Amino acid sequence: MRAQRMQRTLLSLVLRLLLLCTVATGKCSGKYHELLLQLQRQADLMQDPSTLLDPYIRLQGLHSPVLQEHCRERPGDFPSEDALWRLSRQDFLQTLNTTLGLILRMLSALQQDLPEPTNAEMNVRGFGNNIHCMAQLLSGSSDPKAAEPTQPGPGPTPLPPTPPSSTFQRKLRNCGFLRGYHRFMRTAGQVLRGWGERQGRSRRHSPCRALKRGARRTRPFPEVRRLAPRGQPPR
Amino acid sequence: MEAFNVIIFHNRFKETCSHLKLNFSSLHFIFFRRRDPMALFAVLQTTFLLALLPLRTYQSEVLSEPLPLTPESLNVSINSTKQCLHLQWTVHNPDYHQEFKMVFQIQISRFKASNVIWLENYSTTVKRNQVLHWSWESELPLECAIHFVRMRTMVDDARIPAPRLWSNWSSWEKADAQNSLGDHPLYVFPKDKLVEEGSNVTVCYISRNHQDNISCYLEDVLIYGRQLDQNVWAFEFKNVSFIRKTGTNFYCKGQGDPEGVVLLVSKVLEEPRDFSCETQDLKTLTCTWDPGNDTGLIQLPSYTLFESFSGKKTLCKHRNRCDWQVTQDSQEMYNFTLVAENYFRKRSVSILFNLIHGVHPMAPYSLFPKSVSATNATVTWKVYSIGSSSALLCQLQLLGEGKVIQQHNISVRVNGEYLLSELKPDTEYMARVRCAYADHFWKWSELISQNFTTAEAAPSEAPDVWRDVTFVSGHPTVTLFWKPLSKVHANGKILFYNVVVENLDEPSSLKVLSVPAPANSTKVTLNQSSYQIYVTAHNSVGPSPASAVAISGHPGNENVEEGRMNGTEDGFPMSWKPQSRNATGYVVEWCDSPQHLPCVLRWKNLGPTNTDTVISSGAFRPGVRYNFRIYEISTKRMAHLLEKKAGYLKELAPSYNPKVNMSNLTSHSFTLSWKDYPTESQTGFIQGYYVYLKSKTGEKCHRGFEKTFLTDNSVCCKYTIDNPDQKTFVVKDLQPESAYEFLVTPYTSAGEGPLDDFRKVTTPDEYSHILIHIILPMVFFVFVIMIICYLKSQWLKDKCYPDIPDPYKSSVLSLIKFKENPHITIMNVNDCVPDAIEVVNKPEGSKMQFVGTRKSPTETKVGCLGQDNTFTVSLYSCDGITVKGYVEWEFLSGLAGALSLWTNVCQAPTCCVAVFSHARVPFPSLCPTTLNVYLSYF
Repeated sequence: MRAQRMQRTLLSLVLRLLLLCTVATGKCSGKYHELLLQLQRQADLMQDPSTLLDPYIRLQGLHSPVLQEHCRERPGDFPSEDALWRLSRQDFLQTLNTTLGLILRMLSALQQDLPEPTNAEMNVRGFGNNIHCMAQLLSGSSDPKAAEPTQPGPGPTPLPPTPPSSTFQRKLRNCGFLRGYHRFMRTAGQVLRGWGERQGRSRRHSPCRALKRGARRTRPFPEVRRLAPRGQPPR
Repeated sequence: MEAFNVIIFHNRFKETCSHLKLNFSSLHFIFFRRRDPMALFAVLQTTFLLALLPLRTYQSEVLSEPLPLTPESLNVSINSTKQCLHLQWTVHNPDYHQEFKMVFQIQISRFKASNVIWLENYSTTVKRNQVLHWSWESELPLECAIHFVRMRTMVDDARIPAPRLWSNWSSWEKADAQNSLGDHPLYVFPKDKLVEEGSNVTVCYISRNHQDNISCYLEDVLIYGRQLDQNVWAFEFKNVSFIRKTGTNFYCKGQGDPEGVVLLVSKVLEEPRDFSCETQDLKTLTCTWDPGNDTGLIQLPSYTLFESFSGKKTLCKHRNRCDWQVTQDSQEMYNFTLVAENYFRKRSVSILFNLIHGVHPMAPYSLFPKSVSATNATVTWKVYSIGSSSALLCQLQLLGEGKVIQQHNISVRVNGEYLLSELKPDTEYMARVRCAYADHFWKWSELISQNFTTAEAAPSEAPDVWRDVTFVSGHPTVTLFWKPLSKVHANGKILFYNVVVENLDEPSSLKVLSVPAPANSTKVTLNQSSYQIYVTAHNSVGPSPASAVAISGHPGNENVEEGRMNGTEDGFPMSWKPQSRNATGYVVEWCDSPQHLPCVLRWKNLGPTNTDTVISSGAFRPGVRYNFRIYEISTKRMAHLLEKKAGYLKELAPSYNPKVNMSNLTSHSFTLSWKDYPTESQTGFIQGYYVYLKSKTGEKCHRGFEKTFLTDNSVCCKYTIDNPDQKTFVVKDLQPESAYEFLVTPYTSAGEGPLDDFRKVTTPDEYSHILIHIILPMVFFVFVIMIICYLKSQWLKDKCYPDIPDPYKSSVLSLIKFKENPHITIMNVNDCVPDAIEVVNKPEGSKMQFVGTRKSPTETKVGCLGQDNTFTVSLYSCDGITVKGYVEWEFLSGLAGALSLWTNVCQAPTCCVAVFSHARVPFPSLCPTTLNVYLSYF
């Protein structure tokens, strides 16, 4: 257990350094709407099952109805839709960032099982960069550390799924994971679109100030702190 | 009966359970078999022998009596990954230190001890303190069944005297992999399976829930297995085939999640082909081969290169290539063995390789042309040196227009250089070089190439010039034409042409024109002097030799009769008769497309000895008339027209017919003419015309016509006009009032024109012209008469029917009035009996006298009526009367009619005349048989 915790900490550290490194080399856009639109588009791009799930199913021969029925997202792999909607913006971004780290590790492990070439990993990294920039914009600081999105989120950092014992189970597991990934990205896109709609309704106020105010006022729900209601099927 | 199977591996390399690993211990064992019926004897024998053993320690190695030994500590373990049962045992023999050859008989049962499925004799040499191992691979996953194992031994050594007896069976050892399973309701075994294409695989499942309905699928296809036990079902797949790299999915599903296995099927590893080695620098060897088809697995086979002389080997990094470092110990011969290996197979190929004989040098580099002139160029290149003293043989090739035109072999150590000569100016060349090992040629290196272009030189030949002279107002206008110089003679890009016009009558007068390229003609207007015109082509280096043309200021003899000729596939063959013995040559000129203006003038120069030639051109087309003019060139470069010729490359049938006018149509003939039909622009020489005549009545063809059938099978008469200049034709001997169709079409040697535009004509009535000849003058005559009558109407009236004098207006009355005679008497009607009725209707003016009585009809015959059906009745009476007339008539045809006439009063006291003139009778101008006139007097 202790070793596992150490491993998790190490992974988290690596991910933070990775993202920081990427962020340090790039430059964030200060335009909220531009950034939000970019995030929405990236989420739309990544929610498309034809980018990852469909090729994986085809490559692994999992297209039968029996197997399709069991290619489903496992509870706890990704935060549920409800949980994401209830999060404050800062917490939402933090959760996104944490989950992206998990996705990156899974994609890396899946590399040889996916058809070449796939841009999924690059997309996730780009999405992570924009999340960082959005977090930075919301906090109103130009210092990347001030808005470091890899701070511990509302709940424990999810672990990558334990690799199953047999190749067959691993295939099903990966299939379910990819399905969950697309579902998660679809929900994230919806939440981000919700931000744009709310912003449109309160156009009289400065978006930046309003966001900051919202960020300060929004307090994470205790149940959301667990991120994903483990054991519940995703909606 | 006990089952007995043997696993055999042919040409297969597979680390299976049947490979034994022998560990040598310090123990030696001797095994004897003990027979149960002889148990007591055996025990005694053993005791006796054991007692004797110390005494026999120093005896020879050949034992006199066998000792029964039983295997001990038999341990059975399961290797699930390899589906192997692993056996480990010892044989207790504390007294002997020698090695013995022994046989171990092993029995394996499945599900229960009595169900023996395997029996095998395993022979080996046993040493002292040795732990023995043996493995067995199960085709059925071990998790799906409990297995039992036992064994017995027998000494099989020549040093041990017979009889050789089996020892007792060991006790059954149980191998149960199901113990380690969890509490899942469904298991499928094996977990993963790597198999070779074409092999057989057995898969099984264990269901913990007996009531669960389990369905199993192989790649989505429902399949049914064989029940092995209450909970266990097995599926045997024979001759499995490769489906995809990620494996073939087999899965079973009950109530819960599916469980399955992925069969990773590998294609059969092929033997490497075309295995060969070579070196580029005598330092590194590169061996290549064709690995054949991919095995289809993510895990690739390994390739190892082994050299037997040095005993070295290397693991290749690529599946089709391997590098080998040549050692410094000057090893020349190498015996390489390439071993390809995967989980299932090992394939190997060998070659014997001499290092010196396999040198394939690297491609030379830095190939550059230098000092490139119009005809020479020096090329340089470099090579990678091989060893310290070895030279390379390099081959330098010069290519022009894609073909090798020069080839030179040069020995090179480091730098190569060669002077290429006999090059053409302004020409692009390619130099390319390849090299081979000079000490032992084996293979050329890769080629390197470099393009270069030689410098320009002045054009080497005068342009081919011709002229076209036209006279405008007596002044010659000369159009000069020249052909572009060929690349061989241009020696560079032609920039402009210089035209120098020299007036021979005024030597000091020179006119120079510069025409920029790529123009190929220019126009010069001259006066009536003689001229010499020089044309030169210029490139960046200088001018070409000049081409001269002489022009006379006066028109030459153009009145040369045109001859005809026929074209052939090769062109137009033509010949001519020289006029002068001093001709310097001949020129034939023509237009390539005479039907299109302006004419694209072409010409061909011929030497003075030529009197015939064949003019050919890619522009010549069939059906086009080409006109050729042959000139003789004098020593003064003056051209004189010799002959004109016209011809067709191939004559074609006329494409259209002349427009024909029809005239002079009578009841028996008509005339056709087509005067404006040009024959020069036709698709062949017009040899004449065909006149086609079709009759509706189908009458016979007339004289000169011949019967023919048209394409629509209709019959027609055809007349042939064989004179192309005749352009009128009279069609005679026609029937009056008949319809005809006619067509005029020209014909050439290739055929006639289109027969699709017949015109119709109908001959008139035979008498109509006579009628016309009569009626028209008559009408004219009547018209004249009418005019005359109109003009002379008063005269006619006076002559024909003068006015009747009115008695009341008579001068006599005035006289009476003047005398005022009271006894003026008016004639009584009753007293006035008309004395005569005159019908005036005939030209002869005959009168019919009628003496009628009052109210009595008077019948008289009258002649024909006048032209206007009128007649006149004149009544002479001396006293005033009232007359009523009534006329009736009848014709021969029975047509009759009547008409009330008129009323008139003749009131004169004296005789009067009542004139009823121009009474019109409404019937045709025929003669009535009777005409009755009734008159009543009042």
